[in-house]
Amino acid sequence: MPNNPILIPTYSSLAFYLAPSPPHPVNVALLLTLSPSCRRINKELLDLGRDPPANCSAGPVGDDLFHWQATIMGPDDSPYAGGVYFLNICFPADYPFKPPKVSFTTRIYHCNINANGGICLDILKDQWSPALTISKVLLSICSLLTDPNPDDPLVPEIATLLRSDRAKHDATAREWTSKYAM
Amino acid sequence: MSDSEDDYVYDYSDASSDEGDEMKTSPQQAKSPQEGDSDDEDRKPAAKKSMDIRGEVGVKTPSSKNANANPNAPPAHGSGRKSYDHSPTGSDYLSPAKNPDGLKLMEAEQVREEMHSLVCEITDMLGISEAVATVLMRMHKWNKEALLNAYMNDSNATLSKAGVLSKVQGEGGGATSGSGTGNTCNICCDDDFASDEMYAMSCGHSFCRDCWRGFLHSKVGDGPSCIYATCPAAGCPEVITEVEVSDVSKDVLPKFSTYQLRSYVNLNKLARWCPGAGCTKVASSKTGFGNIKCDCGNEFCIRCGLEPHSPVTCPDLAKWEEKCQNESETANWILANTKKCPKCFTRIEKNQGCNHMVCQQCKFEFCWICLAAWNEHGASTGGYYKCNKFASEGDNPNDQSDAAKAKRELDRYLHYYQRFHAHGQAQKFAKKQLAQTEQRMVQLQDGNSDTSWIDVQFLKTATEQLIECRRVLKYTYTFAYYLEDKDGIKERFEHHQEMLEKFTERLSELSEMDLEKMDRTDVVNMTRVVDKFVKNILKYVDEGMDID
Repeated sequence: MPNNPILIPTYSSLAFYLAPSPPHPVNVALLLTLSPSCRRINKELLDLGRDPPANCSAGPVGDDLFHWQATIMGPDDSPYAGGVYFLNICFPADYPFKPPKVSFTTRIYHCNINANGGICLDILKDQWSPALTISKVLLSICSLLTDPNPDDPLVPEIATLLRSDRAKHDATAREWTSKYAM
Repeated sequence: MSDSEDDYVYDYSDASSDEGDEMKTSPQQAKSPQEGDSDDEDRKPAAKKSMDIRGEVGVKTPSSKNANANPNAPPAHGSGRKSYDHSPTGSDYLSPAKNPDGLKLMEAEQVREEMHSLVCEITDMLGISEAVATVLMRMHKWNKEALLNAYMNDSNATLSKAGVLSKVQGEGGGATSGSGTGNTCNICCDDDFASDEMYAMSCGHSFCRDCWRGFLHSKVGDGPSCIYATCPAAGCPEVITEVEVSDVSKDVLPKFSTYQLRSYVNLNKLARWCPGAGCTKVASSKTGFGNIKCDCGNEFCIRCGLEPHSPVTCPDLAKWEEKCQNESETANWILANTKKCPKCFTRIEKNQGCNHMVCQQCKFEFCWICLAAWNEHGASTGGYYKCNKFASEGDNPNDQSDAAKAKRELDRYLHYYQRFHAHGQAQKFAKKQLAQTEQRMVQLQDGNSDTSWIDVQFLKTATEQLIECRRVLKYTYTFAYYLEDKDGIKERFEHHQEMLEKFTERLSELSEMDLEKMDRTDVVNMTRVVDKFVKNILKYVDEGMDID
């Protein structure tokens, strides 16, 4: 790289480097004095710790309380048994009045979940209620894995196969489970 | 120019007789006795067509003006004639005689009262609260009969479907009757609320007032759909009404009731908000059809909210607009906005209303629409303004290959689009002209000391007439594009169109003339002639196109 200019730090950029880094980790007691959505998310986090739902877990990624990661174990009575599925959860600023954005990061063969991990679930859209919690959402997703809803498909090809040849559908789902989720 | 001037003269006599029939000299008129028999046989389908079209412009009542015997009108149809006053302007718009559709303009407050009185009727009849009655009426699109039918059939099903069952059957909401302290709110998940800090609808799901407030703010912030919001509890169908909003969060009540009112008008097929920017007036009609001019100056069709567009129907116009949007690429734009001089090929953009063009480069006079020499547009050469007909030239119509068909279809579309666009542009120019007219009127008055303000009004009338003509002409091309040709109706329609086009051009030319050269009588006469042609073509379409 012969023509690479030499970077001379200006006063302002130096000031940035010299500034104290933000407090880390975030003080939970401090959060309680913050916005209602922070408090609510925090309570959910505590509840999940106290009384975790079966086959699910969830918690913040890093120190951003509004960005969580969750895991779901494939239900035993489904072709996803044995698989571990990761999900991304983003809370909107006006949570819980607006639903959280939930998507799969692990690939899954399911007629209500598309290749981008988008989930077609009514309670994540128009049927969302502020009285619902992440724990209830995860349980709903678990039951969606056990009972896919081919009448309202996000991936029509999978729904068609599910209706016409359940055995073949389940075989493919099992194959994807061992390929992507184990 | 000189020979065209002569040609205009022959129709002036018609202008003076108010109900004179311009069609008497037309070739179509002469033809019709020959095809009289087939006309009769084919009246049925044609009448069907007329139903469709009349559906658009509204059922008109016979007007006394038309009952006056018109010596030239075919007597067989005289009694069944309908009024054809489609686009009245100004104050005479709403006079009962000219207002068969029962058009009226209302302030938002008046609409609110109207809505309230409807709600009160239901309240009295069913013995329910106003809030519940509002929800029920909204669910039945403000159709009282539909609601009463459903209610008499199965009142519980109607109530629960509308999400007001527990409001009617429950003991009412308000503060919950739970123990004094230690109540839990399922939204914020705090659990030390006193009972007066909690609030529930009659469904019994109680939440703290802070969360209720947050919930309602969020819902109202979502926009008009907030009026369908239900209880915050998961799966509870109980609908939120203005009662809860005013109990919990009075600050969003005005917005909430505005959305209620908006939905009332939007669900009402007989009414429409004025689409003018910032205008809050509501126009309504008894038939759901008709054009109205709002006090803000905006003129629109009650059914679709677009500018008045007779003779074309609302669905056809929607199709047309979509088509124009899909196909309006840059090429189309250039095609429609600039043209080459047919002689020297200089690109020309038209910035004056008249279609009689003079190239500034080579001084060639030509018609903007068909690009042929202007002097070919005389009556002596077989047709005054023979440029509104589409003839696919140079193509072999028997070529059935897909490419040839597509090309023919595109050519056909472009033919109509070009003319539609040309008149649309001319309409815009005429509107600009109207803005300058007042100035011209002052000039004209100043130039002649014994002229009063009323004497120069003709200039404004002429320009307004011009705008209307351009608008109607514009939509005649949309209409013609979708017009199925049978029994020569297209030819006859195009004849009407041609007449209107011819005189509109003449009026445009006259009204743009230098003030010193302008002859008031000429302009006044031409305005009247043109007004007649507009009414004629609309009447022709209105009557099902089977009468010449």
